[in-house]
Amino acid sequence: MNWRKLLVLAGVVSLALIITMIPLLSAGCAGSAEQPVKVGFSICYTGPAAEKGRPMGDGKLDCMKYINEELGGVAGHQVEVIWRDNQYDAAKAATIINELISSECLLFTTNSSKMMMASAETANRAEFPGFAVFSAPVLTNPPQHIYAQMPDYGDDWAAFAKYYLDNIWQGTEKPKMALHLLNNTTGSGARDAANALADEMGIEIVADEEHTATTISEIESLTRIKAENPDILYISSTPQPTSIIVKNAVELGMYPGMTIACGHASFTSVLVELAGTDAEDVYGVFPTVNWGDDVPAMAKMTEYCQEYHPDDFGNMDYITCWAEGLIVAEILRLAIDNVGVDNLTPQAVEEYGFKKLNNFDVGGLHGPVTYTPGDNRLSKSVRIFQVQNGEIVAITGWVEAPLIPYKFD
Amino acid sequence: MAELLQFVITGITVGMVYALIALGFVLIWKSSGVANLALGQLVLISSWFTYGVLVQAGLPLWIGFLLVILFALAMGWIIERFVLRPLIAQPILSLITVTLGIAFFIEGAVSFIWPKSVAALPNFFPQETIHIGTAVVSQEYLWAAAISLALFGLLSLFFKYHKMGVAMRATADDQMAVQACGIPVTRIFSWSWMFACTLAAIGGILMSSIGGITFGLVETGLKSFSVVILGGLDSFLGAIIAGPIIGLAENLGGGYLTPLTWSGIKEVIPFIIIIIVMFLKPYGLFGEVRIERI
Amino acid sequence: MDLPAGTRNYTYAQDMAIFRTRTHWVLLAVLFVFLFTAPLYWGNYWLGVANLIGITIIAATGLNILTGYCGQLSIGHAGFIAVGAYTSAVLTNRFELPFLVGLISAGLIAGLIGMIFGIPSLRVKGFYLAISTIAAQFIIIWVLNHWTSVTGGFNGISVPPASIGSIVFISQTSYFYLVMIITVLVIFLAKNLARMRPGRAFVAVRDNDLAAEVMGINLFRYKLLAFFIGCFLAGIAGSLLAHWIGFMNAENFTLIDSVLYIGMIIIGGLGTAAGPIFGALFIRLLQQGITLIAPVLENTFTLPAGFTTGIGPMVFGLAIILFLILEPRGLAHRWQLFKAAYRLWPFSY
Repeated sequence: MNWRKLLVLAGVVSLALIITMIPLLSAGCAGSAEQPVKVGFSICYTGPAAEKGRPMGDGKLDCMKYINEELGGVAGHQVEVIWRDNQYDAAKAATIINELISSECLLFTTNSSKMMMASAETANRAEFPGFAVFSAPVLTNPPQHIYAQMPDYGDDWAAFAKYYLDNIWQGTEKPKMALHLLNNTTGSGARDAANALADEMGIEIVADEEHTATTISEIESLTRIKAENPDILYISSTPQPTSIIVKNAVELGMYPGMTIACGHASFTSVLVELAGTDAEDVYGVFPTVNWGDDVPAMAKMTEYCQEYHPDDFGNMDYITCWAEGLIVAEILRLAIDNVGVDNLTPQAVEEYGFKKLNNFDVGGLHGPVTYTPGDNRLSKSVRIFQVQNGEIVAITGWVEAPLIPYKFD
Repeated sequence: MAELLQFVITGITVGMVYALIALGFVLIWKSSGVANLALGQLVLISSWFTYGVLVQAGLPLWIGFLLVILFALAMGWIIERFVLRPLIAQPILSLITVTLGIAFFIEGAVSFIWPKSVAALPNFFPQETIHIGTAVVSQEYLWAAAISLALFGLLSLFFKYHKMGVAMRATADDQMAVQACGIPVTRIFSWSWMFACTLAAIGGILMSSIGGITFGLVETGLKSFSVVILGGLDSFLGAIIAGPIIGLAENLGGGYLTPLTWSGIKEVIPFIIIIIVMFLKPYGLFGEVRIERI
Repeated sequence: MDLPAGTRNYTYAQDMAIFRTRTHWVLLAVLFVFLFTAPLYWGNYWLGVANLIGITIIAATGLNILTGYCGQLSIGHAGFIAVGAYTSAVLTNRFELPFLVGLISAGLIAGLIGMIFGIPSLRVKGFYLAISTIAAQFIIIWVLNHWTSVTGGFNGISVPPASIGSIVFISQTSYFYLVMIITVLVIFLAKNLARMRPGRAFVAVRDNDLAAEVMGINLFRYKLLAFFIGCFLAGIAGSLLAHWIGFMNAENFTLIDSVLYIGMIIIGGLGTAAGPIFGALFIRLLQQGITLIAPVLENTFTLPAGFTTGIGPMVFGLAIILFLILEPRGLAHRWQLFKAAYRLWPFSY
């Protein structure tokens, strides 16, 4: 027979075999002999959000490696991590959450609010607890089985507004605030918070502008804002449009003059790199410390980062997920201490792990983590930073973001 | 009133940036009849290469630009030779889809080679803003506008008087006749793609110096489609005139409609214009109306 | 269609039959048995993947009718899927109508919007139409994002689980049956559409619409009908997608998804009934493969930082390009060649 045909036939047969074997193989890849404690991570390693997803994924995996190898696991039990790349795609995230539930994981985490939104329905129906590193108000209101590791974009707004009123505003009437928001939940989070709290706090919102993530000029919207003569411009967005807005504000002569503040999604070193000297004295909110700050967990984290993922050094997202690893370990430890490792179920982990979190300090990396009934945010405080001489410098300690009475139906 | 002046100036300058990218599109359409949907990604990869050469390798400005131009020429040649030449006689759906495939591939390659998703280029132009009356405009935009006009002039002259330009127009019109005249059609395609990639590179350098290098360059490429549709797919003059029109529509429309309607209406105006143009004058303001015969 | 040697058709029904010989019927029965007993041996995860593939097949079939049979290039398909998804979500969440009403309305409204955005097809063709469909997608997504009172704006809207009568489709298994039944019906519909009058009219329009008009085919009617059917199926797919994920957000429907659908029908084979199936399977399994391989590769090798980010789109782009250059008629054509070769073996030279 013709060799080529034989080869093609062999190729087709082996392909068919592989396709039929994949389900059987992966189904068999479940637990091992001893009972490890399983957690599931849904990470956006590739895809549009990979720039944040990769350092975050590296952070949490390195932290779990540290916990398993150096600390001997949680309460003596190794933690088995099942992680999948959701490619920042909602359908993919929906298949992954199903896999995590059926693999008998005890809890799960995601990086971003969008991925959590795609997983939340399934998780809530199955009473499978989980938390999102970066969250959105709609995930935790009304509070069900989804928690937020850090304050969300609305909380950023509230925290900064409080700081501004206490420390910067010197006039007697209400300060005038203009909002410049990205056209997704990052921006709408700040808008929802402003709608809920501005009147009560004593701030007048004079402008509410929207921009896209790919804008190249915001002169037009800033001209409108300029006519209102605001005292403070709050930007809730990502670094690149924020840099455009800041640069345009400088060109129009609005800044320096008023105060500019950014939410945590845009306040990273990338912003300073893109906006250059125009970003001087811009305020920002961020929920974790910066690299090099003197906190207990910094040394170990720096060591692992330099050894395994030196490219991520300096990236604040790595810090958020190292902290996430520590919180996961703490939740599991509390649950094991309270009900014993043989009685661990997702519901038990939620009841005796999540809900028993009390002032866990996360190695000082971000605000202390406490569960209070009715509030599914695990950490409630942020830190205010400012760009001084091209560097991001912390100007406050931990500022608590008040619980915002959102109304979502 | 002061606002109006600001909106107009911003609109025209931003529009000229769109027109610059549109010129690259029109070039490929005019010379080979292929719709290049990978334009945004070509701009993206040229910008990243500029970053790689100027910032990562630290070469001086003029050598860097030369390398970028060479890179763009090489890329255009490779795309034409290996992807488009095998598809020469295929229906237009295949050609459009293969440019979509190229777009995907280039996006992946960019993430592969430069894992950072945002970067800033060093400043080429002086930074002080220029005041025209009460309006301000940054010098980068003015430079971009000036370069667009210069390129437009060059391209129009090239296509009208230079032998290669005339050959390109003839190829777009009727390939078989051109081959009958003894002109190597494949070489014409190569040259047109190389020029188009060079235009994309220049556009990329200008746009990234304005706003940094991000995946947003691809979206601006999409907005250039509206410029191209409005101006006519095969007209350079159309691209140069439609660019400012779209920019003006965005800024004036956004500026005055936003307080009345929804915030964020600015981003959807170019697309509404596309639909309106489709209904009223499908071939654009200056496009050549193709009369189709069975 | 290739038939085994010695099969003669004596009646019109025999000539027109899709499943002509007994082997065909037996294989079909085996396929159905395999599919409908799948939940017994596939875990939750693979059932979820199968649900996603089923939904994708429905949407891709719609696009195939529009672009493959009728030649109207549409790069805005994800927008119409979004319309269907949101319609179903809003009707079941805010107005608390039953799931079936939501499903059918999703299809109808998506079809209607598709027809409206398809009106330019009467004046322009080819690339111009493609651009206007891209514009259509952006406009649709913008409206969904900003019509906060109905769609929940950027925060999205949660979707109650699907239920027909007293059966609630929450588990992957029950949803699997729902999706598979609808998928089978849709494929059957598409296959027969091609053989009926509208299908033949579509093909005539695709090949040369001026000649078709001269022949007496009402271009207005048939082009809009193609848009309606294509977007109706997209709406059905969207509705199923919404109830499967349980939460709907306009960010899920990007231009990249539309391009992926075009890629699917090209890779699968334009203008064939089996094309969308092959294309959807290929693309979705490739995506799942990348998802599964990424952890393994990360843990075993230290790859350059951008590897896992870039490898996905590069592979897709390369697949689309290679298929177009080497096998422009797609996997369906390869399947036909395989069947023909199998029948003629050992004389298939």
